[in-house]
Amino acid sequence: MRTLALACIAFLFLASCSSKEAKPLKINTDACDFCKMTIANGKFGAELITQKGRYYKFDDLGCMVQFAKSNTVVPYQSFFVNDYTKDNTLIPAETAFFIKSDQINSPMRGNMAALATAAEQSEYAKKFNAKPLNWTEVYNSYK
Amino acid sequence: MKNLVYILYFFCLISNAKTITVGKTYPVKTIKQALALANDGDTVLVTPGIYKEGNILINKKIIFLGKNFPTLDGQNKFEVVSVAADNVVVKGFKIINSGYAALDDPCGIKVYDRSFVRIENNILDNNFFGIYLQNSKNSLVKNNNIRAYGKQEQLIGNGIHCWKSENLQIIGNKISGHRDGIYFEFVTNSVIWRNISNHNIRYGLHFMFSNDDSYITNVFKGNGAGVAVMFTKNVKMFNNYFEENWGDSAYGLLLKEIADSYIFNNHFKRNTSGIYMEGTSRIKVEKNVFEANGWGMKIQASCMENEVVNNNYVGNTFDISTNGSLVLNTFNSNYWDKYEGYDLNKDGIGDVPYHPLSLFAVLTESNPSSMLLYRSFMITLLDKSEKVLPSITPDNFIDKTPLMKQLKL
Repeated sequence: MRTLALACIAFLFLASCSSKEAKPLKINTDACDFCKMTIANGKFGAELITQKGRYYKFDDLGCMVQFAKSNTVVPYQSFFVNDYTKDNTLIPAETAFFIKSDQINSPMRGNMAALATAAEQSEYAKKFNAKPLNWTEVYNSYK
Repeated sequence: MKNLVYILYFFCLISNAKTITVGKTYPVKTIKQALALANDGDTVLVTPGIYKEGNILINKKIIFLGKNFPTLDGQNKFEVVSVAADNVVVKGFKIINSGYAALDDPCGIKVYDRSFVRIENNILDNNFFGIYLQNSKNSLVKNNNIRAYGKQEQLIGNGIHCWKSENLQIIGNKISGHRDGIYFEFVTNSVIWRNISNHNIRYGLHFMFSNDDSYITNVFKGNGAGVAVMFTKNVKMFNNYFEENWGDSAYGLLLKEIADSYIFNNHFKRNTSGIYMEGTSRIKVEKNVFEANGWGMKIQASCMENEVVNNNYVGNTFDISTNGSLVLNTFNSNYWDKYEGYDLNKDGIGDVPYHPLSLFAVLTESNPSSMLLYRSFMITLLDKSEKVLPSITPDNFIDKTPLMKQLKL
């Protein structure tokens, strides 16, 4: 019984280590971990969590991908991106829909926006004359 | 004969250009009506009053003048003044309440792809973006007073935003409360002179991908994160004041990916870090004053061939800090108030080299929480022994000719 209780507690501790929840970006307070700029626009921000549970925040989707690619040592757990249509709402990157266009002015010229649904993707792609992308394509668009 | 030509010329001007006065007591009541009546070269003079006419589009080469600051109100819905003609002058207006946070970035005054535009002596209050120059050439933004009331956690635009432009002059403006006071993106051959950019949410001045520019004699005080010059080359920074930029990611001047630039005679006072450098090369930092900062300069290991010469370092907690052991920059002939050497031959130059990088600066760089031990007895002891026999700090990180007396700057 006692070992079970201990096991439970240990499990709880372990579980709390690997948080998969996104932490909201603090606009005008947090700095981008790649380009050092203060994050000022809640439409283009991004966040990644390592397997050890460390958070990195970015002001531009492009910054996150470049940061992720520059580091091959620490394994990542999850990626989050700001929903372009909302104000500072993070959604999982793997299931998000992306568009890329020169008419989208993101802080670090990644010029990509993330959307929550395929319908929004085609709507905004038409509006900005943009190229639709998925997460794998976005990830591979940087060296 | 020559005079006669001049006189004739003036007559021509007078006979061609007319002035249309707008106001309650005049035949022309609205600005839009006046703009419709005007031809190229005319003057539209607006008398005092409050004008709520939505978006005012200027698509003729006119002089648009305000008398005693008539108010143009965007009612938080519209872009207030749009300039879509060359040679337009916008002078003497009070422009308030532009649209807010829409996707098309509403502004107080926006210039679309035009040249030789002058925007002078206006008051801009509570706009999303203040003045926005898009794809403009040879234009002047002078003596405008730009205020907004941006708060933390809120989306707001920049005071003076310049994008894909060249040959701009940004002179004598006062900007506060915007995201970035002045923002340059893809702007070349331009000058920023005598502006005061204080208390903006993010940066006082922000350069991105803008080559061959200079900013001279500006004041940047109390901005969220100081001034940032990034992804740029050939920028001249003279006689500016960088003051009171406090915070974890705040820097007097943030330099990232910048090359071939010259930082001369600036004052860095009371910042968390005076200058933060990352990925910079071939920059000369000369005759600047670093006073009462947490860190005078933070130079990351990715910087090379920078020259730091003839600067005063006075009353900083740390003069220099770095995160690597490779020394690719030179630090000669500066004045360091922490220098404890002597000058036997009285030539004004210290006889023993100075190590600007203290042991503790290296320790806090790799382990920030060790700051807790600052000024403890052990640390002071270690610092002293490190100065005599460098073991952790790179031993070639030295000023070979430290000055005995402070430079008069």
